[in-house]
Amino acid sequence: MCTSIHRHSLHCILPPYILSQIAENGSPEMRAMAIRSLLVDPTIRIVRASTAGPVAGEIARRRAAAGNILAPSPLRTIRDAGGEPEAPGATVVRREGDGPTGDVAADEAYDGLGATFALFWEAYRRNSIDDAGLPLDATVHYDQDYDNAFWDGTQMVFGDGDGELFNRFTISLDVIGHELTHGVTEKEAGLAYFNQSGALNESISDVFGSLVKQRLLGQTAEEADWLIGAGLLTPKVNGSALRSMKAPGTAYDDPVLGKDPQPGHMDDFIRTNQDNGGVHVNSGIPNRAFYLAATTIGGNSWERAGQIWYNALLDPNTRANTDFAGFARVTIDVAGRLYGSGSAEATAVTEAWSAVGVI
Amino acid sequence: MQTGKASDETVTGEARVRIEGGLAHFPGLAKEQTVSFHDLASPERRELATLADKADFFDCTPANETARPDARTYTVGLTIDGRSREIRVAEPIRDPAMAKLVSVVRRLSKQHSVGR
Repeated sequence: MCTSIHRHSLHCILPPYILSQIAENGSPEMRAMAIRSLLVDPTIRIVRASTAGPVAGEIARRRAAAGNILAPSPLRTIRDAGGEPEAPGATVVRREGDGPTGDVAADEAYDGLGATFALFWEAYRRNSIDDAGLPLDATVHYDQDYDNAFWDGTQMVFGDGDGELFNRFTISLDVIGHELTHGVTEKEAGLAYFNQSGALNESISDVFGSLVKQRLLGQTAEEADWLIGAGLLTPKVNGSALRSMKAPGTAYDDPVLGKDPQPGHMDDFIRTNQDNGGVHVNSGIPNRAFYLAATTIGGNSWERAGQIWYNALLDPNTRANTDFAGFARVTIDVAGRLYGSGSAEATAVTEAWSAVGVI
Repeated sequence: MQTGKASDETVTGEARVRIEGGLAHFPGLAKEQTVSFHDLASPERRELATLADKADFFDCTPANETARPDARTYTVGLTIDGRSREIRVAEPIRDPAMAKLVSVVRRLSKQHSVGR
């Protein structure tokens, strides 16, 4: 709406499609003005929706030739299921660009999706889940007393927890990053969700979930807690989180939940038919390998260690049935390609996998 | 109300659920929970029976879907008035009636199990 004095009449006179043209093709000054107009215009949602995704063809070639690649932005939609077991939820409570709703779960989901999008774009130049600007959807308040969060193939779904054992599942930023990373893995290596490839799938979600949190908090590998789901368990539970990447098997030991069963070494690998072949159990082994590699390399984990794991996930040698040893080989190869075969990074990765008994 | 109560008392049976998967694996939660209709209030019995009908629980063809990452798989068993069946459903449960039935079975089984 035009209710205030504007610095330039462009704000009100021109419809969004013309502003978009100017943003694409105008002089630098006009482009900046048009982009500012689009950002303050309520129709930004529509424009963003229509421009999210791959920009191909002539426009893409012109942009690339001019070195003019616009930074993508997330396109988030948060829905409220109102305690019903339905996803997507019936009510849209927050769209991209909207201010906070006051609903803690909805706002945590919105912010968590944004932090995850930021990690993948700013650290790895990946534009959303599919690297093509896929809109990020989430449903909160799913079902009643629902103690879970999952990726359903198109969106993230979060329960509020039962309040007895679990708090709301949006409370942990790394859990949001974890769920979204499942979408990335599905689009890339497509690791099959059972046995070792499934545990690797889980581990990769833990790795990037933790990196989302570490990056937002500005923590180095040494400073990070390496916990997945810290804050998720209520004070009634004897435990600190769902998993510990640093010390698998130590996250909880509780009369109701039982003891954290995660192994941190292949000697303790668990063969089971439960949990899709122990995907949430044996993921402790590659989790610890990443922790060891990241802390040995030092600094910010999302930088060199994260680059190695991210590029390994995209490597054609990582396939649906890749096991721990196969992925270890890929990460070592990638570290050699990125930093040199005799580099400190490649050595750290090799020694990390060796320390957990994978190679 | 008297008519409803008499009608409810004729509904006998039990509900069972075993949950696998989820964001984490908790050994203590990975066991079957059962609730007898004797332990349920009349509205709860009535709700279960109604939902079982709506979901066509005893005659439906279960969707053969594999679990998505962190999604749960429910093995739900119902015995109502002598009819008994056990089916396995994975999230996301697309049929709203079945999703509601699974939700109610899960919550009632948990409420009536031995707590902390």
